[in-house]
Amino acid sequence: MPEKIRVVVNEDKCYLCGGCAGVCPTLAINVSPSRWEFFQDKCIYCRICITACPVGALSAEPLEVGE
Amino acid sequence: MNGMKYDVVVVGAGIAGPIVARNVAKAGFSVLLIDKKPAIGTPKQCAEGISIKVFEKYDIPYDRRFINREIYGAKLYSPSGYELELRYKDVSGVILERKVFDKMLAYYAAKAGADVLARTEALDVIRKDGRVVGIKAKHEDEPIEIQADVIVAADGVESTIARKAGINTYAPPHEFDSSYEYEMLIEGYDPDLIHLWFGNEVAPRGYVWVFPKDEDRANVGIGINSDNPQTAKYYLDKWLKENNIPAKKLLEINVGVVPVGGFVKELVKDNVLVVGDAARQVNPMHGGGMAEAMGAGTIASKWIVKALEEENLALLKNYTTEWWETDGKRLEKVLKVRKVTEKLTDEDLDIFIQVLSGADTEKIAGGDYGEVIKALLKHPKVILSPRRIKLLRELL
Repeated sequence: MPEKIRVVVNEDKCYLCGGCAGVCPTLAINVSPSRWEFFQDKCIYCRICITACPVGALSAEPLEVGE
Repeated sequence: MNGMKYDVVVVGAGIAGPIVARNVAKAGFSVLLIDKKPAIGTPKQCAEGISIKVFEKYDIPYDRRFINREIYGAKLYSPSGYELELRYKDVSGVILERKVFDKMLAYYAAKAGADVLARTEALDVIRKDGRVVGIKAKHEDEPIEIQADVIVAADGVESTIARKAGINTYAPPHEFDSSYEYEMLIEGYDPDLIHLWFGNEVAPRGYVWVFPKDEDRANVGIGINSDNPQTAKYYLDKWLKENNIPAKKLLEINVGVVPVGGFVKELVKDNVLVVGDAARQVNPMHGGGMAEAMGAGTIASKWIVKALEEENLALLKNYTTEWWETDGKRLEKVLKVRKVTEKLTDEDLDIFIQVLSGADTEKIAGGDYGEVIKALLKHPKVILSPRRIKLLRELL
């Protein structure tokens, strides 16, 4: 099993381009013109979004036990 | 605004969406085109280059308001600096202003009879008895429900509505490019040509581009494989620095992710169609998707109109068939070429561009790649390398 993570955005770096939502296999990210949203229950911890971001605006935080 | 009902609802006003909306409205059916952005066209995710042929082919006015500059060809640069110039006598393409172009495409749709709603985000599909009967959306903060017989997902790389409707748009991470681009002042590059730099250190799997919008102003960008551990921004800034190009006059910064590795197989599910980037309908060689979106939008709208005229939504499936028999077939071949070029080392790229620059560039410019590959196969450094011969044979 991959390490359980929460994906977080650095809003100062993010352009809201939607690329992360595009590469996400499970619709765990939604990007509107005004906000970046992450749905923990859908995330499969694949980190594809983090690597794909053209500006490195995404990172992972470990999930605490029980989260 | 509640209780909206249309024959067709189109989600996304990029390139494919407005073409579908315009064509369907022209045929006399009611259509609503929505886009989540407050201003259609802004921000853009594009290098803005397009072939001159599309204007006539897709009945788009050649309007100077969205044409920054006419282009006469391309110049390619290998990792060690070999150059290949392809210059035409006539204008071969233009660098658009997408912010104006996309808005004008939506305007043409509106003039043809479509309703258009900016700042309207599609949230989900509405299902009734297992069938998609419309979409839930939000205009500013107001929830709206839009009923429609046909739903068109032209919702870009995210393809949220396509996916929520059950269309499989999945592609693995290696099959996307991550892109980063400055619109900036830059000097020293022929502003009548687009310029492309290749190399595994320069732009892994992709290229750096300079697309002139003015004599001294250009889109300067990069695309790299999206599963690369470094960011697109890292590679572009590195390239600018290594080439002593000052990045001090930045007018705009754009980013995006582009599907470049294969196309959605089933483009229709019942009464839902997927077009453009959402359907991964992008040229896998150069990452451009505007002409492809126009082509797919044209085929999709043709079958939507037929299906509505004959009151037989089963006809929509013909969009999948026709696209795969035409553009799909062509793009599959391009994808095959891209997968071969992906294996080229920097030395391969040097040899190939060096040989090509000595070859009959008229033929290359005319798209006669067979001749080019035959010329390459005669090069001593190719003859002596079974690997290079194998790569080239895969291209033939």
